[in-house]
Amino acid sequence: MPAVQETVDQVRRIDIDQYKYGFETVIEVDKAPKGLSEEIIRFISAKKQEPDWMLEWRLDAYRRWLTMEEPTWARVDYPKIDFNDLYYYAAPKKFGGPKSLDEVDPELLKTYEKLGIPLKEQEILAGVEKPRVAVDAVFDSVSVVTTFKEELKKAGVIFMSISEAIREHPDLVRKYLGSVVPASDNFYATLNSAVFTDGSFVFVPKGVRCPMELSTYFRINEKNTGQFERTLIIAEEGAYVSYLEGCTAPQRDENQLHAAVVELVALDDAEIKYSTVQNWFPGDAEGKGGIYNFVTKRGDCRGARSKISWTQVETGSAITWKYPSCILRGDDSRGEFYSIAVSNGHQQIDSGTKMIHLGKNTSSRIISKGISAGKSNNTYRGQVSIHRRAENARNFTNCDSLLIGDKCGAHTVPYIDVKNASAQVEHEATTSKISDDQKFYVMQRGIPEEEAIALIVNGFVKDVIQELPMEFAVEAQKLIGISLEGSVG
Amino acid sequence: MNMQTTNQPIGRMTVAETALVEAFGAQFGELPGNGAVAGTRDRLLDDLKKAGLPTRRIEAWHYTDLKTLLRTVPEAAPVSAIDPLAPLVEGSVVLSVLQGDADDGASADGIEIAHFKDKLADGSAVAGLTALDRDDAIGRINGSFVRDGFAISVPANAELEEPIELQVLHAGGQIHTRFPVSFGAASKATIIERHRSVTDDAALVSSISDIVLEDGAEITWIILQSQGAADTHLGQIRVKLGTNAKLKLFVVNAGGKLVRQELRIDVEGEGADLTLRGVNLLGGEGHTDVTLVLGHNVPHTNSTEIIRSVVFDRASGAFQGMIRVAPDAQKTDAKMACNTLLLSDNGEFSAKPELEIFADDVVCGHGATVADIDRNHLFYMMARGVPENKARAMLVHAFVAEIVEELEDEKLVEALEGVISAWLERHA
Repeated sequence: MPAVQETVDQVRRIDIDQYKYGFETVIEVDKAPKGLSEEIIRFISAKKQEPDWMLEWRLDAYRRWLTMEEPTWARVDYPKIDFNDLYYYAAPKKFGGPKSLDEVDPELLKTYEKLGIPLKEQEILAGVEKPRVAVDAVFDSVSVVTTFKEELKKAGVIFMSISEAIREHPDLVRKYLGSVVPASDNFYATLNSAVFTDGSFVFVPKGVRCPMELSTYFRINEKNTGQFERTLIIAEEGAYVSYLEGCTAPQRDENQLHAAVVELVALDDAEIKYSTVQNWFPGDAEGKGGIYNFVTKRGDCRGARSKISWTQVETGSAITWKYPSCILRGDDSRGEFYSIAVSNGHQQIDSGTKMIHLGKNTSSRIISKGISAGKSNNTYRGQVSIHRRAENARNFTNCDSLLIGDKCGAHTVPYIDVKNASAQVEHEATTSKISDDQKFYVMQRGIPEEEAIALIVNGFVKDVIQELPMEFAVEAQKLIGISLEGSVG
Repeated sequence: MNMQTTNQPIGRMTVAETALVEAFGAQFGELPGNGAVAGTRDRLLDDLKKAGLPTRRIEAWHYTDLKTLLRTVPEAAPVSAIDPLAPLVEGSVVLSVLQGDADDGASADGIEIAHFKDKLADGSAVAGLTALDRDDAIGRINGSFVRDGFAISVPANAELEEPIELQVLHAGGQIHTRFPVSFGAASKATIIERHRSVTDDAALVSSISDIVLEDGAEITWIILQSQGAADTHLGQIRVKLGTNAKLKLFVVNAGGKLVRQELRIDVEGEGADLTLRGVNLLGGEGHTDVTLVLGHNVPHTNSTEIIRSVVFDRASGAFQGMIRVAPDAQKTDAKMACNTLLLSDNGEFSAKPELEIFADDVVCGHGATVADIDRNHLFYMMARGVPENKARAMLVHAFVAEIVEELEDEKLVEALEGVISAWLERHA
């Protein structure tokens, strides 16, 4: 939209001040030497006391990665990354593995307090009306604490860092790790398979409805450190779990790499709801610094009538390259993707989803809302593929873009491939500014222009916000406000 | 007819690539053109040789892997004389290109018509012999091999009463034609570009139309491609729209084994308006790919695009539609729809409607659907006593004919509906 002059000025002013998580925690750190080699991978594996098969798996991935090329098809532009100029492992020094909260470095606790992440169980319990959330906190390369573990254990739910899971539940990890995103899947996923340091592991057994929301909070703190997390969530027959991840990083002038892999497996009648509020440091007003967020997320609806739902609110990162996908293998399975991607400043987002329909009577729904402001570029890239044997598949896709300012770009690249005549695929996309009629309608009722715009933007993203767990919906709404501050008031 | 392929491919070239290179070598001496044209041909073929035919790894060719799909290239040898057909619309001025050579007797009142081979001979055509970008295989093939066609210029303010039919007929072999057509300011005309086979022999046809609409011109351009079931058709139109120019572009594909139709349109004048309507009738084993790259380059321009496809048998189809709105092209209004009836489990259709938008004050949208006939529609008809197969046929016909009716000109609508009905009777 051609914003009013006031707005334009404010958009210009928007810069790092708006990023309130940009502080750095000063803490002693145990690091691997810089660079990437088989030695480093052995070092990481040894640090994590991993079994031999895990080390072999990593080394296989690394050897394969050496033969791969960085993908260039996405609409993102960045200088070549020197993968040997990064630290692949950094952990707070006074750290001997996740343990009780009392033993955690007070500096770390303060960090999470500042970020507003509840790590103390009693604190969470104190507020009666608040829903309880179990948190796994990942700081650089390690998980520092996981809350409510005991209580979840009673329900049969395993929720722990993946490093722990490799040691404590090797059979489960071995069975499912790499079964959705193979080690050789793509450049970044393969790199992740070689060097992943931590992440969460969730296992919900047959028939169990996870008693609380699970969440992981990722924080990159160290300089020149790549974060490579790996998350694996398994919901057995009839199980249900809702999971949320959040991410922040300090403000730095140089770019940092974050290449994660998330794998979800849903067996018969299981349901997994995965929500992301991504708020990595987006870089400053000149486009300096910020996180490169190259993420592979994929869910496998392996069982009949299973359901996987991705909801994402993307406001951070200098570059986002992320396509949470669903493989609808089981008959009657369902995949959903709800996304709000807000870009401002010099941010570049290339994100979307893939819905691969393989089973009969599978259905999928994609709702994507992109908002571009400043000098950013925001691309929706998605694929809906109906395979030959996927009888009666249904898909509905809606991707809308809103432009704020005339220096930004909004792009839509959907791929629709249908090989079965019984399929019904619908796709619609629109790009526009906020219509004058809408604005007039609201302002006519005495609401100032900036507020009117904010109201309309909130309405624009409502479909997606509604899909978030309640307490995170509030956070997401605030985040969008902050990201667009100055451009929509 | 196919070229004997006993020769080993040169380097890693495919049989078809080798055949093209060899055909170029064999024909080079006799292809029309002065030194500059010959140099350009050489360069384009060299680029083609270096890049090879495009594969699906090249985004613009994602759904049509020409390297794999173009297995053989027929010989370029001329065959016996062909007679022109009656025009699609009675009373049209027919300009025919028979087996690749423009008809010597062609003329029409009030417009300038020249043979493209003369433009090649005097070198004035050389500037147009270009590839639009590094993935423009059609530009390269056509530029290397083009033999003839018509260069047409409609003067300013001219209003042509009857349509002009560009009739490209062949009986197999290689046909490479070119039609630079310019419409003067405020002129009005209807052009029918018709590609047809008169035998079942395989043909490789490449054809490029360079269309310029000066300010205020109002033009209807119809492409009717109904080549034989063994043919390859590589078509491209390059359009520039001036201020307040209006173009109605209708594309009907009803034949061919391997068809790639590229519509490269640049809206360059404020107030310009494009109406694009496409009908793809896909049957047999054919593959048809319609690729649109539409640039809204200036403020205050409109466009609507509707592509309707029906897929029978083992046919496959693809539509790639890219709308680009340049940074200053405010007040662009662009709407695109791609609807497909997939009527066979062995058929397939892919759609990639893209938006690339750099201006904020715009209204752009696209919609895409792929489905079988709506069961409610079928029920409605059958409840009224129409047997199922007849009901289906009526619904399919209505689905595509609806598009053609937007032409408004009664004679044109009737002619195209005739083509559609005849095709559906053969395939449905």
